[in-house]
Amino acid sequence: MLRASSLTTNTDIDIRGINGDESAAGVGVTFGAELMRFAEGLATGVEADLVAARKQLIEAAGTAVLVDAAGVAANFQRMVRIADSMGIPVDDMGGEFGKQIREELDLERFTSAQNSIN
Amino acid sequence: MEYFTYTDCPYPIREDIKREHRQFWHRLANPGSWWTGAERVAIAQEVRNATRCNYCAERKTALSPFTFEGQHRHAGELSDVIVDAVHRIITDQTRITQSYVNKNAENGLSNEAYVELAGVATAVFSIDEFHHALGLEVEILPEPKLGQPSHYRPSQAVSGTGFIPMLPRDGATRLESDLWQSDRTANVLRAFSLVPDALRDWKQLSSAQYLSMEGMTNMVKQEDRAINRLQMELIAGRVSAINECFY
Repeated sequence: MLRASSLTTNTDIDIRGINGDESAAGVGVTFGAELMRFAEGLATGVEADLVAARKQLIEAAGTAVLVDAAGVAANFQRMVRIADSMGIPVDDMGGEFGKQIREELDLERFTSAQNSIN
Repeated sequence: MEYFTYTDCPYPIREDIKREHRQFWHRLANPGSWWTGAERVAIAQEVRNATRCNYCAERKTALSPFTFEGQHRHAGELSDVIVDAVHRIITDQTRITQSYVNKNAENGLSNEAYVELAGVATAVFSIDEFHHALGLEVEILPEPKLGQPSHYRPSQAVSGTGFIPMLPRDGATRLESDLWQSDRTANVLRAFSLVPDALRDWKQLSSAQYLSMEGMTNMVKQEDRAINRLQMELIAGRVSAINECFY
């Protein structure tokens, strides 16, 4: 969806931000590095990192951005658990668009890839 | 008692987020399709126990989660099978398998009950994580309401996608016609459709914390949000990658 949004808005992005590349996260995404660190802080569960990332995000972008970012991050903490607990496969494994992104991000290294590949 | 007032929160919380959190708490306390209100609230408590469960933490590092013996930290109100299902969904979801879900069904946790359990567990976890992200205490769990579950199962559910039966892509009909438009669905939307109210909860909560189904078609920026779609999807992608979610 990041790639889809970038195509719609004609914005150059670097998708490697999804894999934690901080300089890539800032390409085309306002406050990208701060948002990426905030998402990481929540998803990894490392409290000190979350506290630091929250502070940096507020300083850079303000509290309204923080609250909306918290909502999205919390929502996807749920979505990944729904997908894996129900074992759903990717909808269109054969599509070139998705295939390219999976290759770029090396997503087949994840255990849950077996729900789509097997 | 009024929940989710956010009076102790140093940041202004959008009204739609407060509303959806309150409405989910109301539904959580009431009987669902396969669990009583007391059981649903007990499942919610197990979500919180799972995040502090030493056995879960140790099992997550084991080569196989199915051969590692131990005892969960739990409240004692639910069976071992149910406790394990909640804890596994919260702490080790990538290693859930078809055979695990089948074995649970043989041990009394039916597919239908498993879907509702997952719906309750993931929604509570998500709301708790919203608080965690903002450095807030989690909300007190609601008092359960009396009553019996409806045992409603949509007749058009079929097996063949994922671990449990789901409505087919053209199956949002009759009482389920509100779940999705016939030409616009995805497996993640179908995932909970064996228990339609679990999917309705999913959509309601997502509409505030992320985007509504209609809002998801807007790839630029929703007016009432402080972040645009690129920013949202960077967050979503990073959270998903850390959780090793292939989907």
